This record gives sequence, C-alpha cells and structure tokens, in this order.
Amino acid sequence: MTYVVPLPREAITDPELRDLIAQGEALGVPDDLFPRIAARSPELAKPFMRALLMSHAEGNVDHRLKEIVRILLARFAGDKYFAALRSCKARQMGLTEERIEAGCGDYEDSDLFTEAEKCALRYADQMYLDPAKVDAAFYAELKKHFTEPQIMELGAFIAFHYGMQMFMRSLGAAAPAGPA
Amino acid sequence: MATDPDAIDAAFFDELRRYYSDEEIVELGLFIGFNLGYHTFFGTLKFYPLFSPDGRLLTQAESEKIYGPAPSSLKATEPKK
Repeated sequence: MTYVVPLPREAITDPELRDLIAQGEALGVPDDLFPRIAARSPELAKPFMRALLMSHAEGNVDHRLKEIVRILLARFAGDKYFAALRSCKARQMGLTEERIEAGCGDYEDSDLFTEAEKCALRYADQMYLDPAKVDAAFYAELKKHFTEPQIMELGAFIAFHYGMQMFMRSLGAAAPAGPA
Repeated sequence: MATDPDAIDAAFFDELRRYYSDEEIVELGLFIGFNLGYHTFFGTLKFYPLFSPDGRLLTQAESEKIYGPAPSSLKATEPKK
C-alpha cells in the first residue's frame, strides 16, 4: 500500500476525472492507482491526468518511441509502478518487450534503432544523469532528426513523466499485480 | 525526493501528517515532482528567470549575468537504481 491511501473508485464522482481514469486504463498508462492518489487533491488531479495522457498518447513524436523513453526514465527514477505499466496502444502498433529492453539497455550499439531514435533515447538518458551534456551541440544534433516542436514535445514529455515517476516512487508505489 | 528519495519512507510521511492533510501532501508531492522534472529540462534550454531578485523584468542576457552561465538545475542526478 502506498504511504498515501488512494481514494476508492466509488468516492470519485467528478465525471471528467472518471473519464480520464477510463482513458488511462484503456491506454494502460497509468492504471487507476495514480489518479486515485492524485484525486486526494481534486484541483490538481484532472490537469495532471490530462497532461500525463496527452503528452504520451498524442503529439507528433512516435508513440512507440515515447513508450520506450518513458520506461527507460521510470527505471532510472527507481519507480517500480510506472516501469511495470505498458501502453496497449504501443503494443498494438508493434512495440515488443525485446525492443523495450534494447532501448533501456545498450541502445547505442543496437541495430534495432535509427540514429534519430538513438538521439531521442540519449536525450532522456542524459537529462537527469548528466544534464550538462544536453547543451547547444546536443540540441543541434537533435535538430538533425526532429523539428523544434517535436523536440519540445519530447523534452516536456521527459520532464513531466520523470517528475510523476519520482512522485510515485516517493509514495512507495509497487509494480501492479498481474502481467505487464 | 530529488536528492535522497530513499529517505522518504513511512516515518517521513508520519512526520508530514503532523503538519499537513493527505490532500495537502498530494498537492505538495505533485508540485515537487512537476518542478523536479521541468527545472532540469528548462535548464538544458538555457532558459533564464524573467525577473531579477528585486522584481525587475530582465532580458535573457541580463538574466544570465545575474544568475550565472549554468543553472543550478543542471547538476547531475545520481542514478537511483
């Protein structure tokens, strides 16, 4: 059990928040644990859920790539909860566990990824490990593969999901039971 | 949460509950997580504060002179595995 007890489903009556929870469950990320905890702060629960879902499932960067980035970050954050969740949409688009493992491992030497994908994985990898390396030269390299709107989409996605992963880690959230 | 997440345990939450409700603790936690993620991202963009410490509106060049060439958010984070 997390250090802050999540609200029971039946205690959440706001139709918009209930819809956002359903959207998360349909995607697979997040399941209902994150929003039931966030719902303890009703003013924040909806915008945070909207941002979590929109940054991951919408936009102009490949959702499958963002799913690998998200899992890589969750493992770095030491967050067992988000690390265990999987996007059904990414799976339906063909993302495999083998590719996720390759992306979270030695992706630089892997022939499974394009240079653009490696650059995006490096962006996530370095952002919190050694952010000083994410400098003007690094952004110049990113711009060879991505437009500025895509770079902002990716950067904001990395920042937001890493922050929420650290939040869930701080609450002692465990990996959900059952198959990932 | 940012520098020593393992120190946030059940005893830490007991201490928090002496001063804050669960609603306030979740609000604080979401706010801290959000800022933890975004400050580093903004730091990589060389994004400087718009205002001086005394509240004067600054250009980015002026702000860099006041706040330094490297934002403090660019300090490396220890892997937490």
